[in-house]
Amino acid sequence: MPNAAEIVVQRLTKDYGRFRAVDDINFEVAKGSVVGFLGPNGAGKTTTIRMLTCYMPPSSGQARVAGFDVFSQSLQVRQNIGYLPENTPLYPEMRVEEYLDYRGKLRGLNRTARKQRIAEVADRCWLTDRLRWLVGKLSKGYRQRLGIADALLHNPPVLVLDEPTVGLDPSQIREARKLIAELAGRHTVLLSTHILSEVELVCQRVIIIGRGKILAQGTPDELKQQCARAGAAGARLLVEVRGPADQVLSAIKALPGVEKVQVLADGPVQSLAVVGRLDAQLREQIAALVVQRGWALREMRIGGATLEEFFVQITDPGTTQAAA
Amino acid sequence: MSRIMAVAGRELKSLFYSPVAYIVLVLYLLFVGLLFSMLVFIPGELANPQPMFAWNHLILIFIVPFITMSLLAEEYRSGRIEVLRTSPLAEMEIILGKFLGAMGFYCVVIASSVVFVLTLMAFGRPDFHPIFTSYMGLLLMGSMMVAIGVFFSALSEHQILAAMSTCVTLVTLGILVGFVRQLVPTSWFAATQIRHVLGYMAIEPHMANFARGVVDTQNIVYFLTGTCLFLFLTYVVLESRRWR
Repeated sequence: MPNAAEIVVQRLTKDYGRFRAVDDINFEVAKGSVVGFLGPNGAGKTTTIRMLTCYMPPSSGQARVAGFDVFSQSLQVRQNIGYLPENTPLYPEMRVEEYLDYRGKLRGLNRTARKQRIAEVADRCWLTDRLRWLVGKLSKGYRQRLGIADALLHNPPVLVLDEPTVGLDPSQIREARKLIAELAGRHTVLLSTHILSEVELVCQRVIIIGRGKILAQGTPDELKQQCARAGAAGARLLVEVRGPADQVLSAIKALPGVEKVQVLADGPVQSLAVVGRLDAQLREQIAALVVQRGWALREMRIGGATLEEFFVQITDPGTTQAAA
Repeated sequence: MSRIMAVAGRELKSLFYSPVAYIVLVLYLLFVGLLFSMLVFIPGELANPQPMFAWNHLILIFIVPFITMSLLAEEYRSGRIEVLRTSPLAEMEIILGKFLGAMGFYCVVIASSVVFVLTLMAFGRPDFHPIFTSYMGLLLMGSMMVAIGVFFSALSEHQILAAMSTCVTLVTLGILVGFVRQLVPTSWFAATQIRHVLGYMAIEPHMANFARGVVDTQNIVYFLTGTCLFLFLTYVVLESRRWR
């Protein structure tokens, strides 16, 4: 059966004793795309990833990776997946080259293939100058690169990276993101993280998980719009008006549905942030008001709806109902 | 098979990277040297290395746990088990790889005792046949001991705990069972049968045959079944850990 989705998860559930870590989740990851797997700590990200990488079997439901079932065709799945676990556990007493060679052997690569692939991944992960180093002497950033190089070694169609940028400094984070962005197209990447800016930068799609359930999924822009529509906590209307300061302020404040008006920049041109029920009606009313009074409307847009606010809102137990 | 050898090779190398390997080697040579100088290297006596091999297990009981303790315990503790188990490797390949890696080091340890055989050869003309069977016995005995070590290493995240429990088990099989066998009163129901079973369980009589130059299938079967049993139990432990 030809299928454009490289990872298919259906009704996947995992129980740890009486605790349900992952609860009946469904999602798909299209071939060649980079998908962000987002959630607060303890949401079930790592558990889901561990089921996809065949580290632990699901309690119920099923998942297919690269066309193979994680339960019944576990070896094939593992052959087709490159996995970077959280914290990148490595053997400190081995040399970088030696470690990659060992990992290549485990994946069944022959001597020539290993040599060639090691050179390739070392080049791609900026590791070439560290090949003779002891793994234990590498900095956190290089360890992480080695982990990614290891995941890429057998050129797997699917890559699963669990928090690949944790513990890196800002320039290393930028490099890691660049690398991940480069991988798109050639590999299908599932990237687990709780850093939102990362998702916005590198992912085409986002899956947000919280308390074992999928709370939202879509492109970063879709989620931002959804956030604005839902009247998320941080959503506000940014209005720029040329007119007498006090009159503009009091007139807008008086409109129905406006809760708060904040002055961002004062002077002949007012820049205001309006918080309240930001539906279309309010925007029309503001526009009409400005025209009626003979002021000039320079700009009006919905701003401040960041993925971060959306994330906080939907993963917070108190507001989940409202968002859904 | 190449995957098993990859795991084994890595394990063997890594044992040599750690100081434990050298401490173990030195201690082994020291104690075998003691046996040698006290029981074998006696002027005027026959050049017979048999006591050195017959009592070798008493040293190895305390040596093997240090070879095997880190095999799986350290993988759990460091989280590398996740890397290992998400690689395209069957459980048994991991276990056999670890086992063979430790066996490789064990062979280096027992091979170091060749210096004493050479010393004996310099001063006398020992009989080669029992020396050959002794090394065969040491190899078979070692495989059972190492398998026990692999099993306890799979049970715990703590190397020390793994070493201790391996040591206790080996002391039980190597020393205690022999004593208990002596203590079973003849008045007991089925005393001879109990003694027989305990006698079969103990390591010492099986090794003694090899040291004498006797190759008995019963002894070979004992060590091989012990090896298989503990490797299988390790498989069960590893498999059950997945479901937790």
